[in-house]
Amino acid sequence: MAMLSGVARYRVGLILGLTLLVASILVPGFFGMTTLGLGLDRGASIGIIAIGLTALLIAGQIDLSGGAVFALSGIVSIVLQPSLGIWPAACVGVAAGAAAGVLNGILSVVFRVNSLVATLATMLIFRSVAHWVTASQPVAGIDIMFSLALAKVYFDIFTVRSALFLAAILLLHFWLTRTVPGRNLFAVGSNASAAEASGISTDRMMFLGFVFASTLAGVAGVLQSLATNTGSPVFGSELTVAVIAAVVVGGTRLEGGRGSALGTLGGVLTIAALTTAMEFQSVPAYVQQVVAGFILILLVVLDRTVRTGTPTHAAAVASA
Amino acid sequence: MTDIALTMQDDLGNPRFNRGNRLAELLSRNGLIIAILAIVIYGSLASPVFFTAGNMVNVLTSMAIVGIVVVGMTFVLVVGGLADLSVPATIACGAILSLALQPMIGPIPAFVLAIALAGACGLVNGLLVGYIGINPIIATLGVGTIVLGIVQAAVGGVIVYGADPASAALVKSRVLGIPTIALIFLVIAIVGNFVLSRSFWGRWTIATGGNYNAAQASAVPVRAVKAGAFVITALCSGLSGALLGLTLQSARPLVGTGYEFSAITAVVVGGISIMGGFGSVPRAIAGLVFVQLLTNIMVLQGVRTPVQGFVLGLLIAGAVALDVALRKRGAA
Repeated sequence: MAMLSGVARYRVGLILGLTLLVASILVPGFFGMTTLGLGLDRGASIGIIAIGLTALLIAGQIDLSGGAVFALSGIVSIVLQPSLGIWPAACVGVAAGAAAGVLNGILSVVFRVNSLVATLATMLIFRSVAHWVTASQPVAGIDIMFSLALAKVYFDIFTVRSALFLAAILLLHFWLTRTVPGRNLFAVGSNASAAEASGISTDRMMFLGFVFASTLAGVAGVLQSLATNTGSPVFGSELTVAVIAAVVVGGTRLEGGRGSALGTLGGVLTIAALTTAMEFQSVPAYVQQVVAGFILILLVVLDRTVRTGTPTHAAAVASA
Repeated sequence: MTDIALTMQDDLGNPRFNRGNRLAELLSRNGLIIAILAIVIYGSLASPVFFTAGNMVNVLTSMAIVGIVVVGMTFVLVVGGLADLSVPATIACGAILSLALQPMIGPIPAFVLAIALAGACGLVNGLLVGYIGINPIIATLGVGTIVLGIVQAAVGGVIVYGADPASAALVKSRVLGIPTIALIFLVIAIVGNFVLSRSFWGRWTIATGGNYNAAQASAVPVRAVKAGAFVITALCSGLSGALLGLTLQSARPLVGTGYEFSAITAVVVGGISIMGGFGSVPRAIAGLVFVQLLTNIMVLQGVRTPVQGFVLGLLIAGAVALDVALRKRGAA
């Protein structure tokens, strides 16, 4: 049992190691710089959304609308390019993401709608708006050269996007482990009323959590649209499962109060490695979906059935 | 378990809990009927086509397909299972398999097998949610992805066409001017209503959703009841998918997209709380009628599809927020 819980505690590293091992055996040249850089760039979109979701899940809430916000922000940043220019349009795109988060926050925190249902509804709303604005057609940006610059690979491995993701993960790690608001976030997620009683404004933290999550989904969407010079209403429809899987692989609990930035990093890298390996082997998209779904279910089941640490009486009572 | 149901009814009828919210109560009881009447009146004034027999049959047909899912989804919400997001996958399972298996084993066995396999997907959902205790949204999202992937892989990711015109004719036929498919929906709704409001299983479902621990203490098999709700939903959406496949005589993997939202919208607009413990099939169907008539009018008025999605999203958010608000006032 001790070994089992040890395995459960460091499972992120273990899963990542195993994935990389299998991928390097199955895919020739997997450890080439080009492949790794490509994989990292792929993972960056999932990763940036996952950063926001990690913080929100720790606070005990969830956001299912990330994929739709991803598409909507990207579209906004492309559609406004001719009138505003590239940079201001990108900023408005990110702001659109933040506005989406405000709507989620109002519904979940102010109106007390269960966050799953609230963000399910807003997902439908944002996706509809994205289809509405674009008449369900992909829209193209004004400057393809800018996209090429954004997709440029530095030091053989980093793109702007993946460097941004790694920097953001380190910032999140620092914020969660070394600052007071970060610690408060865990308190809010583990027991909201206890946190409220200790003088933490739980409502405010949760509200900001929603804004944070959607803003980052917006950032990811804008980066994706700028890098491909396209905004499309169908972008990000398959991201929801992948992002939740990445965060959950990283050991963040869906019930809140537990999670870490480095765990999410491991989860994102695992999903990215899997996706890249499967794409190199030209596995059909639907089989990739099956794999992502299986990983998600498997890990949530593991999280439920294997408890980390020594079981105390309190924990035994709580889990009974 | 009878005690729990009785206590809950007492709570609802207890004047202490209702003081000063006659209006709130009136709105929550009869608001939907008023809204349906209003929309029927608006529809007949705004569009000459609305109140014709042909249009009503159209509404009835499209209502039947999603309505069968609504009956199942009612159980999931009442038992406190939040929502079943694997519906598009189980509908696709029903539609694709009932057509793809026709040449091999004949139309009727294919129909039955497709529904049974959809039910098996629901069993997986039920085990994950009821017995392992995983968040229903995550479980059904994951299982839905897996099932849809497997179904696509099984048919090679392409569109499947029907091989048996006779079965299509049967589904599309009419009895006394009413589409057969609507009659099937009616039967499912009556059975669903009977199970939820008259049988021991329905009492258990309501008790489990109302107070899980109390129901468990009263020897209700809470885990099985919770799992059962997901099996019922999956069987319903499998049936719905199979009927849809036979009607269209073709099925693509994304055939069920959006049905989960339509079903959740209908149930939530029907005033059934997502917190569980309360609700009935007729209420959910009233919600469905409202949503379907609203959609029908939007289509007749030429409102574009994305805008319809936008309105439905707002409707879910609004209905749930209203439910929470009314509840808070009722408990104050």
